[in-house]
Amino acid sequence: MASTSCSLLRLQPGSTGSIQRIEGMNPILRRRLADLGVSEGVIIRLKGKGPFLGPITLECNGQLFAIRRKEASMIEVNVS
Amino acid sequence: MSSIALVGNPNTGKTSLFNTLTSSYEYVGNWAGVTVEKKIGSLKNGAGKLIDLPGIYSLHPLSRDEGVATQYLIEESPEALINIVDASQLERNLLLTLQLLEYGKPTVLGLNMIDVAKARGIAVNHEVLQSRLGITVLPLIARTGKGSGQVLSVLEKASTIPQVTFRLDYGELTEEAIASIVTELKSIPGLPNLRWVALQLMEQNPVVLELLKKRMDISRLMVICDGCQNALQSSKQALTLPQWIRSVRMDYIRSLCAAAMDTTLLKPHNLTERLDSILTHRFLGLPLFIFFMYAMFKTTFDWVGGPLSDLVDGLISGPISTGASSLLHTVGASEFTHALIVDGIIGGVGGVIVFVPQIFILFLMISFLEDSGYMARVCLLMDSTMERMGLNGKAFIPFIIGFGCNVPAIMAARSIEQPKDRMLTTLLMPLMSCSARLPVYLLFAAVFFPAQQATAVLAMYVLGVVFALILCKLFSKHLFKNESSVFIIELPPYRMPQLKTLGRSTWEKGKGFLRKAGTIILAGSVIIWLMSYAGPSGLNVEMDHSFLAKFGGLIAPLLHPLGFGTWQAGSTLVPGFLAKEVVVSTMNIIYHAPDAAGLEGQISQVFTPLSSVSFMAFILLYIPCLATVGVIRKETASWKWTFFSMGYSLVLAYLVSLVIFQGGSLLGLS
Repeated sequence: MASTSCSLLRLQPGSTGSIQRIEGMNPILRRRLADLGVSEGVIIRLKGKGPFLGPITLECNGQLFAIRRKEASMIEVNVS
Repeated sequence: MSSIALVGNPNTGKTSLFNTLTSSYEYVGNWAGVTVEKKIGSLKNGAGKLIDLPGIYSLHPLSRDEGVATQYLIEESPEALINIVDASQLERNLLLTLQLLEYGKPTVLGLNMIDVAKARGIAVNHEVLQSRLGITVLPLIARTGKGSGQVLSVLEKASTIPQVTFRLDYGELTEEAIASIVTELKSIPGLPNLRWVALQLMEQNPVVLELLKKRMDISRLMVICDGCQNALQSSKQALTLPQWIRSVRMDYIRSLCAAAMDTTLLKPHNLTERLDSILTHRFLGLPLFIFFMYAMFKTTFDWVGGPLSDLVDGLISGPISTGASSLLHTVGASEFTHALIVDGIIGGVGGVIVFVPQIFILFLMISFLEDSGYMARVCLLMDSTMERMGLNGKAFIPFIIGFGCNVPAIMAARSIEQPKDRMLTTLLMPLMSCSARLPVYLLFAAVFFPAQQATAVLAMYVLGVVFALILCKLFSKHLFKNESSVFIIELPPYRMPQLKTLGRSTWEKGKGFLRKAGTIILAGSVIIWLMSYAGPSGLNVEMDHSFLAKFGGLIAPLLHPLGFGTWQAGSTLVPGFLAKEVVVSTMNIIYHAPDAAGLEGQISQVFTPLSSVSFMAFILLYIPCLATVGVIRKETASWKWTFFSMGYSLVLAYLVSLVIFQGGSLLGLS
């Protein structure tokens, strides 16, 4: 199956991808994401995008959480 | 007596378990399901003390809450640990568990929320966990208390909980480094488990680093860490040492979960999905939130709270007041005692007690929003607005709690990760209209805007929020340069709050108000009454010649440009600094009002609609109350910031009231 990698922000709401790389993120946020189990190789789902360019909602390991779009753009995912 | 610490991720039910395991507890500062500092209670079976620590994800602290927990483990070695994990989020929760096992104290694992996990189709085999981790694992439902009996009986003799034998192998390179660090540490007395300290050092845990720096020269330890990291890099195992340690742990956790968990029947959060598709909808979300807020205020002031308050008012001004009066008459009390009790105490305290129903209803609804899981969504909805102002959406929860009382709200700001965001939230909190200012708005709204009471009161709340946002932008631009804010928030699944829990948290919030009514407001009322009763010429003077009038008269000229330059208004402001509730009780005494209707009649004579708005704005903004000043000082640990928060609010209040009154007059309003 052909797979392409793109920024997490490019996912359609409701679709999933596996995290390939997280780069250039604020270290505090990076650690908090790691605490939630968000790291390379993990499957992540984009649930929805907030109003007025607000944060996007994500699901990872059955946990719902939200981060800002700017940060989400630093997460690169693989879509198959 | 042994001490046992309760540790776990946030929202895993630690506090629920704490409440069922302990009979009495020392209140250290718990608010709205958030343990902001450690809470100590004695176990029901008398076996020792239980310490409820704030929820943490790992021992590496980011927020102040987490710092408290890590500090505790390092400095006050507990005899045993209870680690609570959420069975429906096992993988994430176990990361902390591993760190705790490495800490080496006897540990019991409480596998909580097995009912929630089951409903989602997750089956956790606790026996597998138990044999693999080598510790006792007890399935629990902390919300209903199921399984807590077993926990109690295990804790009966904390000394019989077996020692932890768990040990994770971090690979040859790292193990060598750990061994040499342990050798270096052996000469330092008073450290917890050395292997644990070595691992925490390698993870660059700031609290552990700080502790070691105080006791030894750590440069040799750092050389070992750097050497290990370089070796890991050149063998292409990992980029950094902390990353390597984490990945070893994650691999272990994955294999453990694969063996202990059955997720073949896993179901999505159906209810949560459906609710979120409406409540966090990109266009509908915000209007719905504003609608909920409006409904909340309408319920508090018009639909339910208002009638209840009238009922209480009728009770106080009627049976209680006349009852006390005739009772005093029968026992032959002096005129002074009679006036003190009826005008000073019943008039003053009673004027504030009237607002108790409304305040409790407001707190009940805030608790509902918190427990249901909606509050986290509100942060999400508000983040883009807050970000533009230089803050993050997480500050929104403290701000909402601030509508109840600023003191716990400032403490709730501890859950914000970044120091800058925390400081801004603390400084701006006094602009949130706390419940103590509510009586003032209610009184004036009832007199001047009877048809739109809820709207008028809501407008004052909105005014505070608007100024908070404007000042936020200003402060973050000029006081905290070059610091951007970060935002990440967990969204718990929606849950129907339990009545028992709701009642409990409403009471926890509301009892502060009642306690104040019994102490500060009572004392304030008596002092104010005395000052109004006595004057330079003796006792029982005309109010206009009392000490209070003289004193208020000193401030009055300053307030003249604001539209309320009377001694009466002036003399409410100083006691209002002690507690804003005292403003209304002072008015009750000054205007010698027998009941709410009487006071309203007096006020309609002295104020105009325009000057009432100016006065309400002044009361909203002018200075944080004494208790808030105290907690600002404690949380910022700086007198400079404390005085800054008092100073800016005073200047702001004066300017805003001036603009309202003078601007309104120019426009021909009265």
